[in-house]
Amino acid sequence: MQPRKILVVDDSKLIHKMFEVLLRQFSLIHAHDGLEALQCLGNHADIDLILLDINMPRMSGLEFLNQVKADSAFKEIPVVIISTEGKEEDTIRGLEAGAAAYIKKPFGNQELLEVIQRL
Amino acid sequence: MRETVSADLLVELTTALDRAKELLGTIAEQRTVSAAEGPTLEGAASDDGSSADGRIQELEGRLSDRDKDRQELTSRLVEAEHQLGRLMNLYVATFQLHATLDPGEVQATIAEIAVDLLGAERFALLLREEGSSICEIALARGREEDPSGLYTGDSYHGGDPLVDAALEDGILRMGASEGESGVVAAVPLRVQDAIVGVLVVLKLFDHKSILRAEDRDLLDLLAAHAASALFAARVYSNTDRKLRTLESLVQLVRST
Repeated sequence: MQPRKILVVDDSKLIHKMFEVLLRQFSLIHAHDGLEALQCLGNHADIDLILLDINMPRMSGLEFLNQVKADSAFKEIPVVIISTEGKEEDTIRGLEAGAAAYIKKPFGNQELLEVIQRL
Repeated sequence: MRETVSADLLVELTTALDRAKELLGTIAEQRTVSAAEGPTLEGAASDDGSSADGRIQELEGRLSDRDKDRQELTSRLVEAEHQLGRLMNLYVATFQLHATLDPGEVQATIAEIAVDLLGAERFALLLREEGSSICEIALARGREEDPSGLYTGDSYHGGDPLVDAALEDGILRMGASEGESGVVAAVPLRVQDAIVGVLVVLKLFDHKSILRAEDRDLLDLLAAHAASALFAARVYSNTDRKLRTLESLVQLVRST
């Protein structure tokens, strides 16, 4: 089943705008750091996919991911990390923390759509 | 829209191809049955066989044509998707550059384009100081790790041949990582016809080995829009500040 409501967590306004254009068929919720994203999860019970950046102010993507995976209410929501951190150990760290996929920035639009479809 | 049509055509062709394969299978089965029915039906089977052969050849020809069409459509679909991605990046970059008149936000957008769309790990935005050959380093990322040491402090005083040439003639330069200069790209920034600065891409992320053709489009866009967006924001900010000062003065005069 394709996700319908997606939480986008990134401190880049450019990325939020890009997702607005690229993912027009989905309902998007926007957060700019991990703390704001946690609030969004509390306010929207029907989020079924999270697109997550790693380097963000206040709370990083990995900290947020650890909290999500430790919470029984949210741990089943698939998380896709989209980050400029492109080393193999970064990918492994993200996947071990519970991410369903890891995409490196800059990414191709088709690559992202295929990952979303697969999930 | 174009992709939807292409996708529909692709589905239609795939269905037709499957149907043709099914027909071929049926005909082959019929031929096997005819052969098994023995010599009493040989004459009739021979007639049927030759017409079936013709039919098979015709179907094989059509199948081959459809296959070629399908391949062409697939490649056109891939090309259309690629083009759509390029246009989307350009649209988003332009939109964000002109979405604000806050100089800080325009600078942040330039940085986001460099990092998120181009894949620049290290870069510096140089703006020429009025009446001087020195450039102000308006924005930089990762410059402390740059081995050239030309981008430390608040100003760039020249020294990189590629950057200096871009500032001189306004020509965008790319792919010089193996040359005399360590710079990946030097993008001259223009406001009207004047070259007011350069965006210097010092290093790409390790997972992005080279700048591609679509990156050239983005660099051209930055050359044309980044400086004008930044200058417009600075002019607005200065004017706004002067206006507030004047308003305060008028209020002061009125109150005394």
